[in-house]
Amino acid sequence: MNAAIRIAREEWRQWRRSRLAVAALTIFGVLLIVTSVLTAGDMLDARQDRLHQQAHAEATFLDQPARHPHRMVHYGHYVFRAPAPLAVFDPGVDAVTGQSVFLEGHRQNGAMFADARAQARAGGFGDLSPAALYHLFLPLLLIAIGHAVILREREARTLGPLLSQGVTGRQLYAGKSLALLAMIGLLSVPALIASLSAIPMGEPVSTALGLYAGQLLYLCVWGALIVLVSAIVRSRGVALGLLLLVWFVTALIIPRIGVTAVGTSLPADGKIVSDMRMKEDIRKAGDGHNAADPAFAQLRANMLAEYGVDTVEELPVNFRGVVASTAEARLTDTLNDYAEQRMARERAQSDGLSAFGWLSPYIAVGAASRALAGTDLATHHRFLREAEGVRFDFVQGLNAVHAEQLAYSDDINRSSDPQAERRTRVDPKNWKVLRDFRFTPDTADVRIARAADSLLALTVWLFALIGLGLWAARRMSP
Amino acid sequence: MTIAAPAIVVDDLHVSRAGSPVLHGVSFEVPAGSVYALLGGNGAGKSTTLLTLLGFLQPSGGSARVLEHNVAADTAAVRQSVAYLPEAATLYPHLSAYENLDYFLDLAGAGVDQGAVDATLDRVALQAEARGRRMETYSKGMRQKVAIALALLRDTPVLLLDEPTSGLDPVAIDEFNALVRSLSDEGRTVLMVTHDVYGACQVADRIGLLRRGRMVGTFDAPEGARIDTETVHSAFTGRSAA
Ligand SMILES: Nc1ncnc2c1ncn2[C@@H]1O[C@H](COP(=O)(O)OP(=O)(O)OP(=O)(O)O)[C@@H](O)[C@H]1O
Ligand SMILES: [Mg+2]
Repeated sequence: MNAAIRIAREEWRQWRRSRLAVAALTIFGVLLIVTSVLTAGDMLDARQDRLHQQAHAEATFLDQPARHPHRMVHYGHYVFRAPAPLAVFDPGVDAVTGQSVFLEGHRQNGAMFADARAQARAGGFGDLSPAALYHLFLPLLLIAIGHAVILREREARTLGPLLSQGVTGRQLYAGKSLALLAMIGLLSVPALIASLSAIPMGEPVSTALGLYAGQLLYLCVWGALIVLVSAIVRSRGVALGLLLLVWFVTALIIPRIGVTAVGTSLPADGKIVSDMRMKEDIRKAGDGHNAADPAFAQLRANMLAEYGVDTVEELPVNFRGVVASTAEARLTDTLNDYAEQRMARERAQSDGLSAFGWLSPYIAVGAASRALAGTDLATHHRFLREAEGVRFDFVQGLNAVHAEQLAYSDDINRSSDPQAERRTRVDPKNWKVLRDFRFTPDTADVRIARAADSLLALTVWLFALIGLGLWAARRMSP
Repeated sequence: MTIAAPAIVVDDLHVSRAGSPVLHGVSFEVPAGSVYALLGGNGAGKSTTLLTLLGFLQPSGGSARVLEHNVAADTAAVRQSVAYLPEAATLYPHLSAYENLDYFLDLAGAGVDQGAVDATLDRVALQAEARGRRMETYSKGMRQKVAIALALLRDTPVLLLDEPTSGLDPVAIDEFNALVRSLSDEGRTVLMVTHDVYGACQVADRIGLLRRGRMVGTFDAPEGARIDTETVHSAFTGRSAA
């Protein structure tokens, strides 16, 4: 073990004295720090903004004057998805999914970009997060610094003297691996800082450290591969070429193939086709603004029978409100069915792509990182579901006010009778049916469970490479 | 000189590299405390022989023993008692001679003090002013001297030297040969590989001539004299090409 440490220390001395290593490290370090600071700043601003906008939207809703409750159904409300604390490291799908939803009656709107900055992130620069830097570019730096760790000894004919004087192949291999591991440790410090900085924002320690451990695992996979190639390949050019090829294939080609494969195996219906089918289903559910719609004939008959009366005017509740509520419930069922189908499809696609992590550590670390950070698609879907919950509750709350506090006669005459119109305006305290909404990431357990498969894939990769390394180390010769 | 027990015994050694046979039954013995020169043309199998003695290549037939240790089975023990100077050694260019020696000796577990290091560098005649400089600023011969110094500082009973004089100027070669003689006087066994007929005759107690993986001749130094250069030279070059 002492020999391994001595060898590792010597490797570090070599790096310190190598212009290439120092220059590459410096450039990368600066890039890493700048990106981390920018992304962290961005995400903290966005978090602040969206929390503020959320509070503002809620206050605005509650501040509305006395109105007909159905007007408030159409007045609508906004909910915002504040980025998870760990988004400072991996913004994940934040850049492409939209982070706010306009909630109103009778519709489920898609997510929109919360602000201009969020929009800008979706273009080119949005991609250069610390996570992207770690997953895509750090392997290149490790390749540049590490591809010759053992090869250099071979070239300089120092492998013979080293091995012939009692240093075993395994000690040498361990020493070189240790040197690269220490380099990885150094390079991962910004990731550690980013992860830890999320803890004061409410991030559990387990996910913060888990996210860091995921990055470390990924970099170790690369480190193990680099030392292995350096040990078995006999020319610098071939080693460099081989490692770059692996990078190219795992980080660029396989993800591309994965997207295509997942896309063709799970064909998503065209949006227009499914929208048209959904509109048709909604039409069948009836128009809630029209109490005379034949779709509500059965409802009317049931209610008249229940209360033992002959006309809707005699009902103790406002039938128009009941219709609005029933229609909203039916419509929401249909909308939810379609939304769930769409989300299931998207999840299947994203899970299918994650499965390619067994072929590409790059895909595995991306999936693990987003899941742990709480910035993955599953989290976004939960946001959409929770937003829908808020929407449904406040709309139905208002429909209940409509049914219970408004007289049917006033309601039908309000366009012709100003007195009736005034009576259909309800007190603003009724707007409290809106509940506060603060989107929070999943609990640590849930996120870790979601990342488990990808982390397992990375672990298997690492152990396979270490196994090959032990084999290569044993038969090491000059 | 008295014939001691052999330090190195190579018996009918067969070795293949990349699937093709390189050594076809090589046999020779190196008495302890003597200097043996393995002479031969390019590709004759000299380096292959040394690599096999160090356990880096496995014999496909025959055997080799160093200080009674079988090189294939008891590799660690062999390496413990042998210092090896590889062909075209360069050591680490980003380190000075001092740093290189410190590193290698440290790994070898040989505690050597600065005085011994300087004394050995004096012995190989490396100029004092260069010793703290990075070796990338050295000439080829200077690098070779440091590599030789490393082999000497290991202080092992057996030295395997692959073309130790390559890159050395004539003065340095003479000095090196004197050095090798003095090692022998100290009781150390030296097996050196070379193309240099003159140098081999000057320094060796015995010369083995290797051609295409076969030992084709052995020349012993007469009592109190050196091996005759002319005889070896004509044996090496005279007959049909290697
Ligand atoms: N790494 C290798 N892989 C395959 N064959 C090799 C390898 N190294 C040497 N050989 C072959 O083994 C044979 C003997 O080579 P070796 O290096 O032992 O010769 P040598 O006597 O030391 O020659 P030189 O004086 O040029 O150093 C040659 O035919 C060579 O082609
Ligand atoms: Mg050779």
